[in-house]
Amino acid sequence: MMKKLKEYPFVRKIGWNRIILVGVIILMYLIFALVNSTFLSYSRVLSTLNYVCFLGFLALGVTFVIATGGIDFSIGPVMFCAALISGHLLTKSNFPIIICLVVAVLVGMIFGVLNGLLVAYIGIPPFISSMAGMMAAKGVGSVFTKTQSVSWPQVTEINGWFRNLISTRIGGIQFPTGLILLLLTAVICAVILHKTQVGRYILCLGSNKEAVRLSGINVKKWEMLAYVVCGTLAGVAAIFYVCAYTTVQPGLGDTFNNDAIASCVMGGTSMTGGIASISGTILGTIIIAVLQEGIMAMGLQKDYQYMLTGVIVVVAVYLDVKSKTSKN
Amino acid sequence: MDDMILTMKGIDKQFPGVHALDHVDFNMKKGEVHALMGENGAGKSTLMKILTGIYTKDEGEIIFEGQPRSFSTPKEAQDAGIVIVHQELNMINHLTVAQNIFIGREPRKGMGIDDAKMMQEAQKLFDMLGIPINPQESMRNLTVGKQQMCEIAKAISFDAKLIVFDEPTAALTETEIVQLFKIIKDLRNRGIAIVYISHRMDEIKVITDRITVMRDGAYVGTLITSECTKDDIIKMMVGRTIFEEPKSKSAVEDNAPVVLKVDHLSAGRRVQDVSFELKRGEILGFSGLMGAGRTEMARALFGADIKDSGDIYIHGNKVEINSPEDAVKYGIGYLSEDRKQFGLVLAKSVLENTTLPTLEKFKNGHFLNRTKEKDVAKKYVDELKTKTPNVDEIVNNLSGGNQQKVVIAKWLARDCEILIFDEPTRGIDVGAKNEIYHLMNELVKQGKSIIMISSEMTEILRMSDRIVVMCEGKKTGEIKIEEATQEKIMSAATQKS
Repeated sequence: MMKKLKEYPFVRKIGWNRIILVGVIILMYLIFALVNSTFLSYSRVLSTLNYVCFLGFLALGVTFVIATGGIDFSIGPVMFCAALISGHLLTKSNFPIIICLVVAVLVGMIFGVLNGLLVAYIGIPPFISSMAGMMAAKGVGSVFTKTQSVSWPQVTEINGWFRNLISTRIGGIQFPTGLILLLLTAVICAVILHKTQVGRYILCLGSNKEAVRLSGINVKKWEMLAYVVCGTLAGVAAIFYVCAYTTVQPGLGDTFNNDAIASCVMGGTSMTGGIASISGTILGTIIIAVLQEGIMAMGLQKDYQYMLTGVIVVVAVYLDVKSKTSKN
Repeated sequence: MDDMILTMKGIDKQFPGVHALDHVDFNMKKGEVHALMGENGAGKSTLMKILTGIYTKDEGEIIFEGQPRSFSTPKEAQDAGIVIVHQELNMINHLTVAQNIFIGREPRKGMGIDDAKMMQEAQKLFDMLGIPINPQESMRNLTVGKQQMCEIAKAISFDAKLIVFDEPTAALTETEIVQLFKIIKDLRNRGIAIVYISHRMDEIKVITDRITVMRDGAYVGTLITSECTKDDIIKMMVGRTIFEEPKSKSAVEDNAPVVLKVDHLSAGRRVQDVSFELKRGEILGFSGLMGAGRTEMARALFGADIKDSGDIYIHGNKVEINSPEDAVKYGIGYLSEDRKQFGLVLAKSVLENTTLPTLEKFKNGHFLNRTKEKDVAKKYVDELKTKTPNVDEIVNNLSGGNQQKVVIAKWLARDCEILIFDEPTRGIDVGAKNEIYHLMNELVKQGKSIIMISSEMTEILRMSDRIVVMCEGKKTGEIKIEEATQEKIMSAATQKS
């Protein structure tokens, strides 16, 4: 029965993995709605989308790194560092808001460049280099703000217009602009990954770096580029994070690493590199966001979300491994 | 029929979409060395995997020592006395020889392991086999040949009655092969039956008693080694005569222009002061024993490894090659001896592998022009007669010979003038081998130049226009094909300078 279903051209085109992910999202909605009927309310949906938004940018970025066979544990703290530095410049030094938003992206990019240099050119294992990046990002954010948390202006306040990036009021309804921007970025990422030279090199070197190098290709350059994309998108994620949550505290952010990496893995991006799915990553992000919102709607602690995420990741990877071995 | 230790009758195995074994018969006498031959994909390994319990058969029966048997795990086969010595060695490098041999069944002393007893037992095995290996030596310090001897010792320690050797000489030096043959003969004299899988015709003639040939998953026939010729075997394997004699005369004019000049190249311990010239349209053979530094020389020339000193000239102009990127820019392509690790991105398609070095050419603005890529990939599939369902097939699913063709296609698409073939036919069956040879000859006719590193003497003598011999990192000889003999090459290859 399952086998037959998998053979349908429609199923093949969309991919079995993605259909399961959509199924899981629907199932989760049903369960959470049964427990708490407000879960289907528009304000809850918007709140879920806020989470999807910033996490989506993080996950898109790290998808590139994982596609090269690497890993980046610094994205969460880098996002926070970017939000802290730019927020500090905005609120304490009165920099123009537009400059601050650019600074947020630049901070992310700089961390990406450093991480990329360490991994691709100096040869430090991605695990170690991104762990160092994580600590550095936390430290820099704390030092820059003198361990003070930063609060970005509300939408009604002066300079608060940037919040329209994540959702904007059109004719009395909140419209999820952030989702549109995320999906646009996702489409661009998918095109880069699957239709351009950069993407081809990234996927191939994730699969067999030495063979790509011996084909006369500057693998260092392309590998580094994946980390730069990842860092830059972490900077973008910072903007959407403060759009939704206003206050940023120094010294935090690591939990978002796990959420972002979990999203990729659930979406079918292989941890060993070479295979990546952008649409899968976005669906993975939605699962994580729904889970987090649902747990809150049920009145449970965030710890339950961690536990469930852990279980889901193991199941997703297990299914991935199993489908690979059965193919062989 | 009483002296049969093993009879396999009507063995049938279906894989999804492939009839891997079509009612195959195979039998072994006690104390014989029996060659199992056939092109890649003929079903040799599948048959042996069924015998040793790695696969289960769909149909047929196995009679071992007079009993109908069926092994569902390698352990069951091992317990019955059937052991396989794999082509890829399964040794753990940081353990000692003795620890490797007795892994998983170490002699016990209370809670711990009885190291002394383990050493003694290992020593006993080596004494019996007449192999000078210290059981306390760490595995990583042994040569590939010695490691294989350890595998054999391990096989014996299971009280083996039947040992399957899967291409045992692929990585051995000539002396090691001689030693291996001595051991095999010794085992035979002790009544152990040996299945010997190899593509090397010369070895088969020397070491085996009988030969069973398979083709396309079916049994073709069994020959008695002493009563047949190489041609008979090859004819059975491919269904046609293809054996060719060594090249007797160079096809290259003496005054042909020099395309590549390597001057005093040194890189690490393995490449010391190597100089040579490559002419247009020439196949320059590189001969030598395993570890002579030929691959290292090629990698240093190609920029894959760092070189210490030496100059490289292309068409008389000095060039700086510090990375494969530079080498490719100057029109040098390198076909590695290890296709799977260094030549191909196995998990990607024929198309993606073919266009990998030339991706720049397929850019249409920011995007890749897939139609154009497809055309080029198809063109080379047709030209090289690569057997693949389509260009989107994952390279890992192709046979060795076809994988090699994809590597060749990759460099042809790049229009490389100088191609370095490192062991071009390793692990490739006879039929595909000839196609590769034919292709190389075509390439030089078109004016390309080839450096061919090969450990097979017949290949060197058949293909080269000129032969450079290396020994322990140094160039120890340069022989024109007209004057080349196996003896001359061998003496240069073993010359300690």
